[in-house]
Amino acid sequence: MDDVRAVVRAARAVVDRRTSLVPAIVESTGLSPANVELALTRHLELDPTDEELRRLVERAGDAPEVAVILSANVFVGALRAIALARAAAPLVLVRPSRRDPVFARALVEAAADPAIRLAEDLDVASVTRGEIHVYGRDETIADVRARASEGVRVRGHGAGMGVAWISRSASLEEAARGLAEDVVVFDQRGCLSPRVAFVEGDLARADAFADALHTELERFDLAVPRGDVPAEERAAGDRYVATMTYACRALVGTGHAIGVAPPGAPMVLAPPYRHVHVAACETREAAAALLEPMRRSVIAVGSDDEEAARALAPPWARVSALGRMQRPPLDGPVDLREG
Amino acid sequence: MDLARSSALHERARAFVASFERGEPLPDFDELACDLARFQAERIEGFARLCRARAVDVARLRRAEDIPPVPTDVFKLTRVATFEPEHDAVVFRTSGTTIGARGMHAMRDPSTYEAAAVAFGRRWLARDLTQRAAVVVLGPSPEVAPDSSLGHMCAAFVRAFGEEAPADETWLVDGDTLDVVALDMRISRALRESRPMLVLATSFALVHLLDAIGEATFELPRGSRVMQTGGFKGKSREVPADELRAELARVFGIDERAIVAEYGMTELSSQFYEQTLFSDVEHGVYAEPPWARVIPVHPETLEPVPDGEIGIAKIVDLMNVDSAVAILTQDQVRRVPNGFELLGRAPGAPPRGCSIAIDELLGRDAPA
Repeated sequence: MDDVRAVVRAARAVVDRRTSLVPAIVESTGLSPANVELALTRHLELDPTDEELRRLVERAGDAPEVAVILSANVFVGALRAIALARAAAPLVLVRPSRRDPVFARALVEAAADPAIRLAEDLDVASVTRGEIHVYGRDETIADVRARASEGVRVRGHGAGMGVAWISRSASLEEAARGLAEDVVVFDQRGCLSPRVAFVEGDLARADAFADALHTELERFDLAVPRGDVPAEERAAGDRYVATMTYACRALVGTGHAIGVAPPGAPMVLAPPYRHVHVAACETREAAAALLEPMRRSVIAVGSDDEEAARALAPPWARVSALGRMQRPPLDGPVDLREG
Repeated sequence: MDLARSSALHERARAFVASFERGEPLPDFDELACDLARFQAERIEGFARLCRARAVDVARLRRAEDIPPVPTDVFKLTRVATFEPEHDAVVFRTSGTTIGARGMHAMRDPSTYEAAAVAFGRRWLARDLTQRAAVVVLGPSPEVAPDSSLGHMCAAFVRAFGEEAPADETWLVDGDTLDVVALDMRISRALRESRPMLVLATSFALVHLLDAIGEATFELPRGSRVMQTGGFKGKSREVPADELRAELARVFGIDERAIVAEYGMTELSSQFYEQTLFSDVEHGVYAEPPWARVIPVHPETLEPVPDGEIGIAKIVDLMNVDSAVAILTQDQVRRVPNGFELLGRAPGAPPRGCSIAIDELLGRDAPA
């Protein structure tokens, strides 16, 4: 556990000298400087408890060597990935994402642990023992599995999404405030980022929640502006807004959009980059039924009513209060689908 | 509910088709398109909202290309119709996806759809036939799949171009089973009668046929042709278009140019065809009927892109009288001489994060 603590200390050191790193992270991630600051100061797990670390070590298992392949992940995810790998093995090779290597490199350098080495050109086939921890898209994971040597275990951490449940007793303004922060950090590109909010009640209540969320997201649009949005995602956002405008209602802000689903409509998934799909559900069971086709992809549920959220969530999903969906304890992978 | 305006617009749409069939001057496309847009905005609040959001005053519309297109996703979320459900004559549904939502296109008067489908189907599949063909459909009958627009179109083709034949010798898919024996018998009879065949099939049904027969061949009578439509949708192995065509030409003993691809979708009432059976135009270039326009547009601005450049297909379809005269697909197209090329679904953005992409969600296993 001391080795893992050392990784966390290294992350703290990186955060302490972040002024020199932020521009490079902004450049590589496309996030706004304010969003990078928000991620580093509020969404990096720098103060884990002993109990959380004990869980992390337990979940990490044992391996003689772990190769960590970081790709298409949110940048702060490197801390958890490296901590997990270090908990599992006396030797960790880290291949940062080619597009977004800044934080991972800085963390490995700050750790100054001979057991954690950067391996920028790591070839999957060259790993002949232990485990490969791969983060990224389904196809990336499948590709690594296909190329991994026999006897090497591949642990895949794929893409996912978060869901919010706003109970009948929730204060809509408070719930909106919490959810807005969960949406804004990483510009909704994290696998815990909420993309859908189920509002217990009727369409009028869903509308009222959408209004409150619109206000909160607008506030964030000024304080933590959305970063670069790729052309394809801008088009997907425009298409989503047009779809929801026709189908029921769309609220479009400076750097976000909210769609309100018509009663009884099936689920559609809003694109990332601060788009939230709001659906009214009279019961939790109705929400579960709507969610069923995409249940496998849900890895986080946030709510004002955590007990209700737990009942709605798949067994592997992390459940938290709104506003904390993007701050899971450092007690294992964020994605617990592999058990 | 007053259906008179809808009926009058259907009359105008069918008159457009009739003029085409008779080779007469065609009515003004933009005028009818804009009248349809005004009618739909008046009857469908969602479309009126979309027009307002796009700052389009429908009363002042003069050009079809200015009509705000309705994204095809809308058909999954809400009803797209100028009339109440009690007037539904047919309801077509899109094929399911792993996230469950199926699009729905209700029609009050399917005779307009049928007239257009048969007229343009005749133009590119059957204009040279001097006798009724032996039409077989490698797909389920409308009785089995009443919500399939493709099945409805094929039924119209069977009636328009086909000889009399029992249903079980025409519709050759039952459940998941392709009746190869019935196909063989139908071919044998057509050969005896020297009657050309018209085979209507989805791409995945054709792959299933190829897989079922192995090295065998089913040589079709002289003058036969195949209409192939749709993708594979995970229902068979995927085969590149040119390979599939070459293999079908070998199995059926016909020229590759007699294998004609059709492009259509449930959200539309018109179809588009390759022109290889009756012209020198290469495979991959689709013709549109004069009552529909395929306009490649910029995915964000929705402005038409210059000829030769790739855009997203905005389709203005005058046969969509009671639904959406202009739709926005997710297919990439490019205008070329003699028509347009279909370049597949617009790609998603390169991943920048681990939030799941819509395409990735669609690609995951469906729930049991």
